[in-house]
Amino acid sequence: MIETALHLLPSTLALGASYALVALGFVLVINAVGAVNFAHGELVMLGGVIAVGIASVLPDGLAAPGLIVLPGVLLASAAAGLGLAALAYLPLRRAPPVNIFISTIAVGLIIQHGVTAGVGPEPRLGPPLAPGLDQSTMVIMVAGVAIAAVHLLLSRSQFGRMLRAAAQDPDMARAIGVPVGLTIAASFALAGALAGTAGLLLSNQYFVTPSDGANLMLKAYIAVVIGGWGRIWGAAAGAVLIAVFETLIAVWLSYAVAEAALYLAVFAILAFRPQGLFGDTEGRRA
Amino acid sequence: MTKHLQPASVAYILGLLCAAGGMLVFGDGYAWRIAALVGLYAAASIGFQLIFGRLGLLMLAQGALFGLGAYATAMITAHLGLDPWFGVAGAIGLGAMVALAIAGPVARLESHYVALATLALAQLVLLTATHGGEWTGGSNGLYGIPPLSFAGIVIVEGPALALVSWCGVLLSLVVAAAVTGGSARARHATIREAPLVAAALGIDAARARLILFPVAGALAALAGALQAHGLGVVSPAVLRFDVMITVLAIAVIGGRGSPWGAVAAACLLVPLPEVFRELESYSLGASGAVLLGVLVACPGGVDGLIRRALPDRTDTLPPVQPLRFGTETLLAEHLGKSFGGNRALADLSLCLEPGSITGLIGPNGSGKTTALNLISGIVGADTGHLRIGDRDLSGLLPVRRAQAGLARGFQHSVFPSELTVLQAVSAGATLGQGRAALDLVGLTARHDVPVGSLGAGETRLLDLARAVATQPSVLLLDEPAAGLTASERARLSGVLETLRRAGLAILIVEHRMDFLMAISDRVVCLVAGETAASGTPDQVRADPRVRAAYLGREAAT
Repeated sequence: MIETALHLLPSTLALGASYALVALGFVLVINAVGAVNFAHGELVMLGGVIAVGIASVLPDGLAAPGLIVLPGVLLASAAAGLGLAALAYLPLRRAPPVNIFISTIAVGLIIQHGVTAGVGPEPRLGPPLAPGLDQSTMVIMVAGVAIAAVHLLLSRSQFGRMLRAAAQDPDMARAIGVPVGLTIAASFALAGALAGTAGLLLSNQYFVTPSDGANLMLKAYIAVVIGGWGRIWGAAAGAVLIAVFETLIAVWLSYAVAEAALYLAVFAILAFRPQGLFGDTEGRRA
Repeated sequence: MTKHLQPASVAYILGLLCAAGGMLVFGDGYAWRIAALVGLYAAASIGFQLIFGRLGLLMLAQGALFGLGAYATAMITAHLGLDPWFGVAGAIGLGAMVALAIAGPVARLESHYVALATLALAQLVLLTATHGGEWTGGSNGLYGIPPLSFAGIVIVEGPALALVSWCGVLLSLVVAAAVTGGSARARHATIREAPLVAAALGIDAARARLILFPVAGALAALAGALQAHGLGVVSPAVLRFDVMITVLAIAVIGGRGSPWGAVAAACLLVPLPEVFRELESYSLGASGAVLLGVLVACPGGVDGLIRRALPDRTDTLPPVQPLRFGTETLLAEHLGKSFGGNRALADLSLCLEPGSITGLIGPNGSGKTTALNLISGIVGADTGHLRIGDRDLSGLLPVRRAQAGLARGFQHSVFPSELTVLQAVSAGATLGQGRAALDLVGLTARHDVPVGSLGAGETRLLDLARAVATQPSVLLLDEPAAGLTASERARLSGVLETLRRAGLAILIVEHRMDFLMAISDRVVCLVAGETAASGTPDQVRADPRVRAAYLGREAAT
């Protein structure tokens, strides 16, 4: 049993690291606009599709096709994140958050079915990061670098301080001169870039399918609940936990049981940690 | 309430009759099948409107409840061999029960958790169906579900199938009107848009959920069960998120909260993927685009457009139902509250007697609003007791305190924008009592205008009237004179005088000293959370500690 677990450790950590990127982007948008981005999974899927697309025009036999497509994926998915903000958030920024929930569901539908209509519904294999090296190790490294970069950006840069100020209290931030609109746009772009990177990282071990999005979004959503609403590193840790939990239970019992156990765990957390559930601004003002 | 149909409803009915006539003349078998499907989605979406539209909760398990109904009747008829109508009844019961189980624990959560919890529930139902073995037929589902039959006619296709489906729509419309009509509309709107106000008016949100959730679940399950008997098969596909997305899109495009709008949107949206079958991806992407377009450009949806063209007739003034106030004393003893290490209020004791006005004054940050929040129960007290008459209110929820005779006006009041003045003022009362309260504050002439068209001063008076209409014993007011013109202040003084003579015990927090000192029988002055002075207005005015607190503050500013 322990041998199996050890054997699975690299791929489990690789999955966890990828999930952590997904959850990071998801929670950044939550903090920026106070709404759940239901299209976040579609951004991940889109990143995978873009990776597959760029890799298909590269010559064969490259040492690191996955690493070569990474910059392109980053740029394109950051642009996709901005596009999402322009479509789903900008026109509704004065509306209640639930409208943004729904508008992101709508944009998610457009992305999912647009991709299906464009390239077909079948699963595709993404490029390996560096075929000569172990894919799981490479995934962990790339994700690790991305997470470290986000950490530095948020904790050390002036931009990161503005981002956190705007997330905590947009009105106050605006009053002290933080360009809140800009930080929101940057959050969406960063979320898109992280999601796209995760899409690339997942695409070689798990395929890319246009209908993947909802499931990935749900994982990120659960990660945020585990980590505490709006807590950036809590969400990342929650995502790793989900991957470990999923893999172990799936090995012991089955993937279906693992999934079911995850959803039951959501109910348990929501039921037994209610003190953590009421820290938001919604419904407070009379 | 008017007994006659609104003009918009007449338009909807005429539209449907035209569609039905067209179907009778031109409809082929395929068209009838689509018409049946439209009806099923309309019924499920009408149910969804109750929770999403009326209560404002993004409950994402309506699709799962639809599928649950399909599976329930399939299993009842296929495994137990019972009559299909038993299956439909069982499905309705199961849908209602599951939704009722959600209503308590899930609906209390904040909206982003409601969405997640119901999403997780839907996934669990899907997993169960896919891995249920023989019992659910696994990923293939169940086949050979017997059709419904009525008076010897087997209902498998054509007009009969559509008729059964649309009987479901009719039933849904009637049930929805029964649970949301009349004064329920104002109650639900207040729960949705101003939950704290709703609680302070004694509107029981939990009770509203316990009624609306099972109805919504029953309608979804009914629709799913009818679909199972119409198709003869059920597979995990009915539990996929697509059903939920379609229902959500119908609700938003039809106009949030509107049952008739849901019917109209179902007619527009459901045939699309059927007509463009080979372009399935395009049509689903297109519904996404339409959904986004409606959210951005036309938030009222189809129903909003129709009612703009054909406005509802407003309510005629109901006869006055005289307000009868309770005459009980509120006794607060040693109330205290700290936030973090910060003591906001210490050892406040108050006695509010029937027919008296008590003023609560103090510099900014002295604990006046905390005192109101502790008494009304919005914030839990660390220490102390509270009773009205011989009833102990300590530890009770705000809604229970309101029901025990405590009413509260809000400094920054919220009124649901969809309501008229009369509907808004009656949120916690009957329309007759609301009318009486409007008479009292002098807003009767404005009873049929949208609540948003009132001026700032009128809105403050309406807030007072809304609290008074609940016929409390004790009335708490938070700066009622703020933002009023001199003539409105005079009117407010007159109203408060009338209420005092009617036997109400009134507590007023106010900055305007001239106003407060003139109408108060007693005044309590808080300084830094402590009771610095209490007595008649003259005694408090002369108190050295009060003078120091106020003069000190004025000198500082």
